[in-house]
Amino acid sequence: MRRIFKIYKPFTHAGVMLAAQYRVNFIFFILGDVLMCFINYFLWKAVFSSGGAQTFMGFSETDMVSYIFISFLTSTLAYSDGSYAVGEEIKDGSIAMRMIKPIRFDLAFLFQELGERTMSISIVFLPLMVGVEIFRFVVTGAVQFNIFRFLLYLLSLVLAYLINFYVNVCYGYSAFVLKNLWGSNLLKNIIIGFLSGATIPLAFLPPVLSAVLNFLPFASLTYTPVMIYIGMYGPVQILTSFGLQIVWLIFFIFLQQVIWNACVKRLSVQGG
Amino acid sequence: MRIFKKLHRAFKLHRIFIKQDLKRLMEYKIDFMTGAVGLLLAQGVNIFFISIIFSQIPALDGWTFEQILFIYGFALLPKAIDHLFTDNLWSVAYFIIRKGDFDKYLTRPVSTLFAVTVEKFQVDAFGELFVGILLLGISVPSVSLNVSVLNVFLFIISMLFATLIYTGIKLITASISFWTKKSGHITYMFYMVNEFSKYPTTIYNKVVGAIVTYIIPFAFTAFFPASYFVAGGNPWYNIGGTVIAGTVLMIAGILVWNKGVNAYESAGS
Repeated sequence: MRRIFKIYKPFTHAGVMLAAQYRVNFIFFILGDVLMCFINYFLWKAVFSSGGAQTFMGFSETDMVSYIFISFLTSTLAYSDGSYAVGEEIKDGSIAMRMIKPIRFDLAFLFQELGERTMSISIVFLPLMVGVEIFRFVVTGAVQFNIFRFLLYLLSLVLAYLINFYVNVCYGYSAFVLKNLWGSNLLKNIIIGFLSGATIPLAFLPPVLSAVLNFLPFASLTYTPVMIYIGMYGPVQILTSFGLQIVWLIFFIFLQQVIWNACVKRLSVQGG
Repeated sequence: MRIFKKLHRAFKLHRIFIKQDLKRLMEYKIDFMTGAVGLLLAQGVNIFFISIIFSQIPALDGWTFEQILFIYGFALLPKAIDHLFTDNLWSVAYFIIRKGDFDKYLTRPVSTLFAVTVEKFQVDAFGELFVGILLLGISVPSVSLNVSVLNVFLFIISMLFATLIYTGIKLITASISFWTKKSGHITYMFYMVNEFSKYPTTIYNKVVGAIVTYIIPFAFTAFFPASYFVAGGNPWYNIGGTVIAGTVLMIAGILVWNKGVNAYESAGS
């Protein structure tokens, strides 16, 4: 383990440098995206004041507001653009340079992305988290923050990120076949956004659909960590969902290896 | 007469450029089709989301499901028209100026703004256009809509000037890159405010409502004109506001752009 960290540390460092270069851009983009959260916030406030009921399909107003912001936080932190990076390298052929080095392809990407992540963690994490907690305190009149649940959330978030990373790498390999990934990336992001509960809580969907989606890997990407954070899951449900997250993670690591082995054989670098 | 000659030439050039751009697109046909499906799906998910909300409540802040659909569909149309014709402004903001590629527009015998926008015909916009028209079609029979010559005229006017609000805001923020080399992130942040226009401005609090009405007036691209058609109101304010906002932003955009072109310094090397 120590050896792995030593080998791949330069990639993390490069990632940090890369992210630092785009710091200002990043802040503006995040501000643009946070606007979306506020639209949803006002929308749900209006829904609750128009409906007259205390809960909406099992969610109170505080739950819903927490859900909006924490799911944004979760999907931002667990975001991976592995598919784009892998796709680009396959398209321009620079992947060949990686193949001649004695390192694992997926780990090099992973450590680089972890470095890039430091930026979003340091800028997004605290303000959103503190904001949500202050909101929950003001509305309910009691401190809702629970350190134990928070730690469970962090664990689930890390698993979510790793699954997302490997899903994206697997997906990026499709550039071996498709060459251009703009359209399919867009389609993939929209489908995952919907199925992972980042757009709508899965509990709002028809029961059968929601049960199926809970079992599929998508729920592990956003929905599970968020539900743990806002306290909608009991102990049993938390344990099952952790189990599911781990199973899916192993599955995608394995799948990634299989696709990689198969694809390397048919790699054709365009131009030169 | 000269103005007609000029317009005729502009349209002719536009046709040639569109043809050229479609050829580029055909290179990656499947990729483009998947992207188009994705954009349609994104709108579908949003509509589904709204219908879930309305399965639990009869009206949102006094607005019925059909009225909300009308406003939502209305919001997509000017956005799509702007998207279709001026998408290259994003490229200006992101990389055309930074890479020094703006040089080529300066050598052309047409205005720089025309040369830039005519170069890209963003067919992605047809998805939004399609969904927008579909939503208007679905909602119109169930909202009390007064179809008259005047209202058709007002509809066209509000579409036209709502589009200019989009273009003006993109133009102003993209022009910043003439001085800073890159302003895509600024354009993005301002552009995202348009999402507020999909829902009635009455659901926001006073501060947010004032911002989207008077400062970054996206509320005039959809909610104000659309609510005049479905709920009545003062056309002088609801649609007059759109006309004023569109005119002011577009003129400001052209002024900033022209100043920017004078300040443009090509990239070294």
